[in-house]
Amino acid sequence: MNRFSSLLWLSLILGSSTTWADNGELIISGWGGAYEHAQTVSYFQSFEEEHDVRIKIRPYNGGIGPLDFLEHPGDPGWDVLDMTESDALAACNERLLKEFDKSVLISAPDGTAATKDFFDGAIFKCGVAHVSYADVIAYDDRAFPNVKPNSVADFFDIERFPGKRALPRRPIAFLEWAMLSYNVPVSQIYDLLSTERGFKLVSKRLNQLKGNIVWWEQGHEPVDLLSNGEVVMASGFNGRFDDARVNHDIPISIIPDGQFVQLSVWGIHRQAQRPDLAAQFIAFATSTDRMAALSNLLSYGPTRKSALDRIYHYAGTMPLITDNYSNTELGFNRRIRADSQWYSVTESIRHQWFEEWLNSNGE
Amino acid sequence: MKRINIKPDLYSVPTTILLLAIVGVGIGIVVSLLAIAFYEAFDWLNKEFLIDPHERIQLANKPLLLSLATVGVPTVGGLLVGFIIYYFVSARRPLGPSDTILLVQTRGSPQPFGSSIASTFAAVLSLGCGASVGQYGPLVYLGTLIGSIVNSLKLKIPNLQAICIASGVAAAISVAFNAPIAGMVFAHEVILRHFSVKAFAPTTVAAAIGFIFANVIFDRPPLFLVVFEGVQYSYEFILFAVIGILGALLAVGYAKGILLCQSYASRSGIPVAFRPMVAGLILGMVALQFPEVLGVGQESLRFATIGGAFELGELTILIIAKIFVTILCLGFGFAGGVFGPILLIGILCGALFGGILDQLQLIGHSGVVPYAICGMMAAATPVIGAPLAMILIVFELTRNYDLTTAAMVAVVFSNLLASRMFGRSLFDVQLASRGFDLSLGRVNALISYGSVTEIMRTEYPIFRTHDKIGKVAYQLAHIGRTAGIIVGTNERPVGVVHVRDCTGRPPTTSLKDVMNPETMRFSESTNVGQALEAFRQSDYEVAPIVSSKTQKLLGIVYESDVISKYREIADRIRQEEHEPI
Repeated sequence: MNRFSSLLWLSLILGSSTTWADNGELIISGWGGAYEHAQTVSYFQSFEEEHDVRIKIRPYNGGIGPLDFLEHPGDPGWDVLDMTESDALAACNERLLKEFDKSVLISAPDGTAATKDFFDGAIFKCGVAHVSYADVIAYDDRAFPNVKPNSVADFFDIERFPGKRALPRRPIAFLEWAMLSYNVPVSQIYDLLSTERGFKLVSKRLNQLKGNIVWWEQGHEPVDLLSNGEVVMASGFNGRFDDARVNHDIPISIIPDGQFVQLSVWGIHRQAQRPDLAAQFIAFATSTDRMAALSNLLSYGPTRKSALDRIYHYAGTMPLITDNYSNTELGFNRRIRADSQWYSVTESIRHQWFEEWLNSNGE
Repeated sequence: MKRINIKPDLYSVPTTILLLAIVGVGIGIVVSLLAIAFYEAFDWLNKEFLIDPHERIQLANKPLLLSLATVGVPTVGGLLVGFIIYYFVSARRPLGPSDTILLVQTRGSPQPFGSSIASTFAAVLSLGCGASVGQYGPLVYLGTLIGSIVNSLKLKIPNLQAICIASGVAAAISVAFNAPIAGMVFAHEVILRHFSVKAFAPTTVAAAIGFIFANVIFDRPPLFLVVFEGVQYSYEFILFAVIGILGALLAVGYAKGILLCQSYASRSGIPVAFRPMVAGLILGMVALQFPEVLGVGQESLRFATIGGAFELGELTILIIAKIFVTILCLGFGFAGGVFGPILLIGILCGALFGGILDQLQLIGHSGVVPYAICGMMAAATPVIGAPLAMILIVFELTRNYDLTTAAMVAVVFSNLLASRMFGRSLFDVQLASRGFDLSLGRVNALISYGSVTEIMRTEYPIFRTHDKIGKVAYQLAHIGRTAGIIVGTNERPVGVVHVRDCTGRPPTTSLKDVMNPETMRFSESTNVGQALEAFRQSDYEVAPIVSSKTQKLLGIVYESDVISKYREIADRIRQEEHEPI
């Protein structure tokens, strides 16, 4: 089945009878920077052309708060959301996302059904994972001309590696890194993070960095902070660091230890103005060639096998959900597969703990 | 004690091998599945009853509910456990590894099936309600239970009971620690108390099956994982030996504390059925302040190997609180083991030792990990009396040669000191108080365990003081004996006559002129070992056994009876230890 007939079939089952010409705009969340650029090139533009629709990118920086817009009159709302796996699960639990109809997904070019082609765990109740990425720690090469940081523990070691650190203003990734810095084995991180003592240990690590943290909110900031010398180390997304280093000659290096691998998920907002079009967009953007196109631009991993087969090279630090994480249990180059289930059930306590830490430390 | 008749093997060697292999595999599979179910069951209860820290942290916003659960769950759980033990376990105490050892060593009959099930269920409930008791004792008993059931199939293989039970225990330990070699060694070291070719094969098979189930099929998480890059300074081995000595003191204090608390509980006047409830209530109160004392303390165990996870002050308080509640829970009759808590207490003490070293900054050291592990092993080994198995547990859990060597040093010193101060293990001390003293050696323990009434004769000639020695000598010669008992009025023994005293006297001499006024007499409470010793130190050839209440004659025992009993036991043990397949 070629794409045209798939879409035709899809439009039939979705009962859509309107023409595309006056579809107006589709509101999609955007993370800015290199990622958004790669998305634009890979599928936003072509979708606009093929379906004669305008895509309006509305900035989004994670969390489920921005999805709950009923209290804000005049809020344009969302149609399609590109969310972290844990946010998507939480949003799904809060019924902020529509249930996802996986039958819209397009089969692989060789005819393999989409449900077989996507990797295990990529299709959710409320969405479909379209890319795997990692939170990593990068440092400014210029700041450490001699001894280089090479482990997560070095990130928290302000004496050996002085200078400011950039961290997301959300309790994510650095929780796991704090655990790794105590040599907690990867498979026991979430067990220990589920205790009060676990959080205490994270607080202790943050306390060590007190006064040296620059909080970032938008995905492109870590690269900016590093390149203009405001911080010497930063947590950020692997693809953006790779892009900055390779395509823009910014002198940064990624610490291979502690890659925190997550999935990005497409979901449709419960109050989407154009739910059918949104579903079509997701089908389009997750089709084999579109997905491969994005991974060929940015070192984010695809979530279906047929797309993985179409990537030139596994650029830089590309994380894949098919990788075996258990063999990176101990030692260096540890990798963590984010436990989105844990993230979704600890949503409120994590934030409560984080706010308390911020308040008590005047951050 | 039953007489042991050593029968010739019924089967050819290949058939025996096949049967033993099937026994090992079968017991391995069943015990592994049940052991995993045991874990799942109390894990589930921990979650439902808000003992699990993961559940507790999610209720951090509801402190009242959390406090109610903290006090209420162990209290109500204790009440239920108390009633189960009182009404469904015939011994009216939880069953554990000491019962296993006794059963295997004496070849006695197992506890009633219902009691065993009830005791195991009480252990699940105790662990599920957060009692500070161990999971390994009940698991060992679970292995015993399955082994006994398989033994009752009457496969007609000599010494099958011990083999079946050892296989069950090996599988249980293998599952519990993901440690098949340790499981196999534990079964030999603690339960069988010898190494024989015949028991070796099925226990090893069962342990391997346990490992396959726990590790490969169900992929259960290991107890803990550690990162350790090696001992950096040679002088640290001296510190490991010091930890061994401190661990021994801790272990002896812990074991004596449990025994003292048990005897206090039985003197306290609190009915057996209500004792666990009292312990549960106090546990809950302590847990309000220190929630980490609840349950098996998996998370604390893991945190202990993480440098800086605890402040030294809070660590000290946590250790004291944990020792207190554990002794209380075990002494007041919660069903569970002694091993799990001492692992935790030991590792926390080891972490404290490492933390103090860190704080003092007098000498360099290799971090908190080896000290924590050494502390754990040094404290736990003397309690269960299994140094070899403990060293192997470290090896299999951590797969780290350096750590194992360090732990070995601690274990050896700890074991040396504790066995001098206390005894081989808490189990052995408990058994000794029940009359089975393995510190005497297996043969002597068995001899001392059986009452002399088991081998006494109830058909024998009765002589009176006025009998003539001619008649007496004739009667004795007729039954092939050289000594007899003289009974006075009211059926009480008054003396012993030996043929040697009658020679050279006229046959009409009255018995009362030649008899030895009898000074050696046994009662129901005299054991065979004591009888043997009494005969050895006197020249009597026969002794009366009298009722300790009425002083009336119950029967008599000849010196030869006692000696043949001794021979029989010694033969049995020799055969068990050297028996080929």
